Formats: sequence, structure tokens, C-alpha cells
Amino acid sequence: MIFNSLTYLTLLFTVVILYWVLPYRSRLILILTASLTFYGFWRVEFLPVMLISVVADYFVALKMPQASHRLKKKLLLTSLIVNLGLLFYFKYLIFFAENAIGLSNLMGVEIDPLALNIILPLGISFYTFQTISYTVDVYRGLIKPEKDFVLFACYVTFFPQLVAGPVLRSIEVIHQFAKRPPFLWSDIVIGIRRILYGLFLKVVLADNIAPIVDTGYSMPLDAMSALDVWTLAFLFGFQIYFDFSAYSHIALGSARLMGIKFPENFNFPYLATSPKDFWRRWHISLSSWIRDYLYLPLSGIKVQRVRSTGGLSDATLKRKNIVLLSTWAIMGLWHGANWVFILWGLYHAIVIIVYRLLLPLINSFSNNIKMIGGIFFTLPIMMLSWIPFRSESLDMAISMWAKVFNPYLYDSLGMRENAYLVTAVILVGVVAVYWIKHQLIPSLDPKGYLLVLGEVATFTIMFSLVIVFFRPINQFIYFQF
Amino acid sequence: MTNSRSTLSLLLPVIIGSMLGGLSLYYLNDKDEKLDLEKLALGDETSSQFSQFMGVPVHCEDIDDAYQCIDGYKKYSNNNVILWLGNSQLHSINQMKAGDETASSILHRCMKSYSKYNMTFSQPNAGLQEHYVLFEYISRQLPISTLVLPVVFDDMRETGIRSSLLGIFSDLYVVDQLKVSEIGKLLLKNNGDKDSAGNDIAALDKTVQENSERYLNEKLKSFWQIWADRPALRGRLFVSLYKLRNWAFGINPSSTRKMMPARYTMNLQALEAILTSAIEKDIEVLLYIVPLRSDVKVPYDLVQYNKFKVKIRDVAQKFDVKFKNYEKLVPTKNWGTKESTTLNGDQEIDFMHFQAGGHKLLASALCKELKDIDRAERRK
Repeated sequence: MIFNSLTYLTLLFTVVILYWVLPYRSRLILILTASLTFYGFWRVEFLPVMLISVVADYFVALKMPQASHRLKKKLLLTSLIVNLGLLFYFKYLIFFAENAIGLSNLMGVEIDPLALNIILPLGISFYTFQTISYTVDVYRGLIKPEKDFVLFACYVTFFPQLVAGPVLRSIEVIHQFAKRPPFLWSDIVIGIRRILYGLFLKVVLADNIAPIVDTGYSMPLDAMSALDVWTLAFLFGFQIYFDFSAYSHIALGSARLMGIKFPENFNFPYLATSPKDFWRRWHISLSSWIRDYLYLPLSGIKVQRVRSTGGLSDATLKRKNIVLLSTWAIMGLWHGANWVFILWGLYHAIVIIVYRLLLPLINSFSNNIKMIGGIFFTLPIMMLSWIPFRSESLDMAISMWAKVFNPYLYDSLGMRENAYLVTAVILVGVVAVYWIKHQLIPSLDPKGYLLVLGEVATFTIMFSLVIVFFRPINQFIYFQF
Repeated sequence: MTNSRSTLSLLLPVIIGSMLGGLSLYYLNDKDEKLDLEKLALGDETSSQFSQFMGVPVHCEDIDDAYQCIDGYKKYSNNNVILWLGNSQLHSINQMKAGDETASSILHRCMKSYSKYNMTFSQPNAGLQEHYVLFEYISRQLPISTLVLPVVFDDMRETGIRSSLLGIFSDLYVVDQLKVSEIGKLLLKNNGDKDSAGNDIAALDKTVQENSERYLNEKLKSFWQIWADRPALRGRLFVSLYKLRNWAFGINPSSTRKMMPARYTMNLQALEAILTSAIEKDIEVLLYIVPLRSDVKVPYDLVQYNKFKVKIRDVAQKFDVKFKNYEKLVPTKNWGTKESTTLNGDQEIDFMHFQAGGHKLLASALCKELKDIDRAERRK
């Protein structure tokens, strides 16, 4: 089910009413039923795939506390095989098969292309990562396995976060389901506000930027100037930010209506002062997942130790860099089975490595220069990363990047003037909203009329525009991952 | 921030804001005025007229109304068809008076005496890529003998296919025809998987939710007029933003519009694809550069505009099709003004649409050329 639809709003309204009316146990059954309905409204035949992951990890984790170290390892391996196996089959089989065939043909062994048609189940990358993190945490002894199957199933399938995150840890959510949250009007109001923010970002901003980006990317490459590439990079950067953060707002808001609090997934990423800072602000739940379950284990650092010391001093620089490159390649591959995503991941890894090398120089500047200069350099570097992310092929991505570094291609504009204007307006808008949120509002009296008037004006504009533009015309971009 | 505030202070802005938002929508959706996007875009000074002949539509816009023109032809005529594709110049009359008619109507009458059936299709700001798709769609359904194709420098800045033409991509014949050219392949790639015209629930295509969403939308439309009028509200909003932009940046019809290389190239490719396809189908082509207001400085970069004219002439020569340059065909007296395109409300000179006199001149010039083509055809 897609959030920006009447069907979802009807389901959410019904579930929230019933949720607060029903007794505790029935609430959990309600959440599970609603979650399966939510998922089934996309394609009911993929429900069993999700349930395989849920059932496997529930039983695997349950067995772990009593198991010997060896058996525990086997159980963990079982969980990884089930989850990564599902992910591999549905998401990566065609990609790897095509590449293997291509390689064989290159080496002179002629193999016919496979005629596979595998549909990617919605949200599979999210729920498999969630169940893996649960089993790994149980294996590491960080949490106890959940004995209540319904409670565990609610954690994995909880509909607000099911198809595009945030990627939740069991430690963040299960206890909230278990303790039966009290009804608070403030939760309802905050939930509604978050949903409105999210709908505004999605249906008013992201969905109206989408056609400009699509048109830009459909231009013949030969006719694209360097300024066009920059504009498209920024525009798509804004589109994906509004689209994905909208999903997170609606997910957080929907959960909050039921008294469940999710961690934040975005925090003004385009105002990050360094590449490292960017990843503390963008898709925070995935970045921390990758750090805790991939990067740190591959670096040979134990999670508990890192948490206590906050350092990676035991890893050699070379190993750190190799691990960083591999982690980012996997992060890229997580987004999609295509070389462009691997290129996107490697780009980020290289940016971080260069940043680390420059750190002593950067630290020699004053804090103000570091902050302003940091934003000034980080923003375009991060925006350029969206070029491969949105490109259809490696050739396209590399050709577009090449244009940016060609000084002779800065003399023309290939798109409608509106594209450049919209980009500039949004950029100014993002900075203005940050300033309003972090400078202006804290300086106002929280009980004063100015704040309320400002919010009334904001909600008047947001509400009317959401009504006018509300329609499920585009999927959320992260649904494809 | 939210923790330090009471629930009421968080709730009030949402409630008041939603109420004011709802009221503003009622205000914008003025009940007395029928919302017509075409009218909204052209303004009060310019009228649209899609002509009919003896009650049968002979001038249509897109595939939503194409069946009216096509069915009308099939019912009442078996003459060869002259297909005229164009932009709003063909269906707009400035300062229209009673009895005024468009060139398409006049041309239809003129060609009838030569046993030809003129049928016109025009959409605002139509580009050559759209003409290409529409030409392939219509050419399968009608016995077209001649294609009249205006080339507009302004429209070389357009790209893509509007939603009201997207349904064409589900026609397998058209798909096969488009696959022949590079630009056709690109159009298929960019539009081939899009849903039919104006589909507001495109993201739900082929899911169970498609049905529930359709049902809920219809229900909501039936008891809340605002919901039903949202497409027009969106149109009105975009027109306001367009005027705001023009006002803020001092843009008016006289502002120089530069050529956009990518779009220019794609449109030239579309032009060549149309001509190739027409020749293969044994269809004669009359290519012309549209009339342009000449009493004031043209809103183009003159170097680019002159190169464009030469290029179109060269293309016509390359494909051996008839070419006419009508840029000076309509004298100053037949051009009019249009409603302001900015927020200040002053009337502006119109470079694209002329008054009824201009339509007469254009129809007469085309009729003459088409007669020549017809005579040459008969001699063959």
C-alpha cells in the first residue's frame, strides 16, 4: 500500500481507532492483521516470502540462548542463509546471472541470455535487514529472544515502516509493543503533524520535481552541458530527499498515532559539514545498521568495545580502507542490483577516504570556517553522488560526471529555464527552513502568538496544497530497493 | 521543541490551518466561473475554437477527442484526408468576434471542393515529438494523402509527450512504427510504460490497491466538489506560479527565448522521423514556417532563428517535400493582444495567435499550395 493514497488513510484511521479501543492482546493481533493487509494490497502472493523471514528468525533466535557456541553459529548461519538467500534470489539473481553470462561470452564461452522474470517483493531489503539485525543481536547476547511470536511478527511487519524503513532494531521497538503505551493526545497531534509534513514533502515537492528530473535525464547526452548535469544532480538530490524523508515522516507519524516512537531517519543532510556528517544525517537507520552489522565486524572491531571507546584504533589504515570500500560497495548493492549503485557506493567510500586524509588540514581551520566551508564543499560533492544513482547505465553516469570536469561545457543551458529556477528556489528554501527551525523558532516564546501564527500560516499552505496534489501518481523512490 | 509545548498549542495551528486551507480552496474554486484549463492558459483575450463542419468535428485536440473527428470522417466521407498538425495557433483567435472562424474551418471548406477532407489536430505548445506520435496514430486510421506540418521555433523548446497523448503508446502499431527511428525509440523508452491519459493513480497500476483507490476517489468526488475539481485547481496554481515568475523576472512575450540545444536536436530528429514515415506511407508533405509578428522585434535570438529557418529548408530539400516560409504572411493589422502573462494585468502583444483575418490569410495560402499538390498528384 502506498502512503499517499486514500486507501492508506482509510486503513490508518480505522486501525488507530480500533487500536485504542481494543484490549492489549487484541491490539497486537490488529497490528499484525493490518500489516499483512497493508502488504497484501500490493501483491498478496509475496506475503509468504515475508513470513518465511519472520518465522525463520523467530525460531532461530529462540533456540540460541540454550545452544552451544557451535550450534549458535550454525543457527546464525541458517538465519543468514534464509534472509540473504531470499534477498539474493529476488533481488540479485538476474544481475549476477547476466554478469556471469556476459563474462563467459567475453571469454569466448557462448551462453544464451537467461529469460528470467523475477518480481522484487516490496520492502524485502528492509525487512530482511531488520530480521538479520535481530538474530545477530541475539547471537551477540545483546538482547534476549522474543518468545511471543505475535509481538515479534509485529516488530518485523509493523506497517508504517514495512516497505521503506526506518530499519528498526528490535531493542528500539519490541519493548514499546510489549509495554502497552498509554493513550496521549500529544501523540495523536504529533502524529498528524508528521503525516502532514510527509504528505507535503511527497505530493507537493517530490512528485512535482519528478517530471523535471525525468525530462532532464531523457535528454540526449551529447546535448547536455555541465550546468545541466549539476542542475540534474541537485534536482534529483532534492527529489530523493523529499521523497524518502516524506516516507520517514509518514512512518514516524503513523506509528506515533499508536503511541510507538521510531528513531529519526533524516536531519537536514544537505547542511552536513562533512561527508561523515552527511551519513549521520541521511537514512540514519541504514547507515548505523551498516556500521554495526557490516563495517565494524569486517574491521575486526567488537561492537561493545567500539561503543565504549568510540575508536577504531586497532584496525590498520589499509584494512580500514579496504573494509570501507567493500562496505560501501555492499551498501550500493543493497540499493539495487546494478553497477551504477556499486559505483555510487564506491564514490562515497572514496570521498570518505579523501576526507580522512584531509582531516589534519581541515582541523587547522577555525570552527566557523570548518562549518561554512564544510557545507560549501560537502553539498556539491554529495549531490554529484546522485548522478550514478539516477543513471540508467555506467556509461551514462561516467559521461555525465565527465562533463562536470570539462570547462568547455559550462557555456550553455539545455533545459527549460524553470529547471534552474526551481533548483535555486529549493536550495534557498532548504537553508531557510533549517534557519527557521534551528534559529528563529527557538528564539520565539513557545507560548507566544508569533509561533502559533507562523504555524497556522504554515499548516494553511501545507493543508491546501496537500489536498490539491494528493494522488498516488508516483511510487516512493525507495520502494524499488 | 514539541515537548515544551502543550498539546493544545500543537493542535490549534493544525486545526485552524486546515480550516483556513479548506476555505482558501473553496475561494479559489470559484463556483461561478467554469474552470477551463485551456482558457486559463490562453487568457480572456484569446479564444479557442475547434471547428466543425455541418455539425461534424473536423478539428480535434488529442486522443481524448480524436474519435469524434475520426468517426465523423468515417461516417460522412471517403475522400482522402489532409492532416494538419499544429499548436494553439490553429485553434486560437485573438479578440474573436461573432462569425470569426479559424483557418482549419476555412481550409476544410476550401479542400472539400477538391474532394479532400481536411482534419486538424492541435494542442497548446505542441512539439514535433508529439506530432510524430500523433501522426503515426492517426495515419493508421485514416487514408491520409497530405500532411501539413507547421514548424514553430518556440516549440523547438518543447520536449516529451503530454499525458493526454500517452494512451497512444498502448497502440502496438504505433509502437512498431516508432521503433524504426532513434527518437521514436527514445520516446518509447521514456513514455512506453506510462499509464493512460491523466491517470492520477499511476503508482498503483496492477495492484489490488488500484481498485480500492479508484472506488474511494469516486466516492470522495461525488460528495466533495473540491476533490473533483483538483485538476483545474492544480492548473490554476501553475498558471499563477508562471505569472509570478514572469513578474519577478520581468519576463514578457517580447523576452528573448533562446534555443535549447538538446530539445532542438530531439525535435529535429522527430521532424526527420515524421518525413521519413510520411514518404514511406506515400503521403505528400507541406512543411511551413509559421507566421510571425513582424512589427516588433522577434522574441528570438536572431542568429539562432535564422539558422533554424535555413535548417528547416535544408531538411525539406533533403526529403524532397514542399516547403513554405510564411513568417511574413500575416500583416501587423491581423495580429492582436493577449491577456497579461504576469501579475501586473496589462495586455501584451501576442506573437503566436492572430485575429480572424490572419486565419483567413493562412487558410488561403495553404489552400493554394494544397491545390498545387493535388494537381501534381493527379498528373502522376
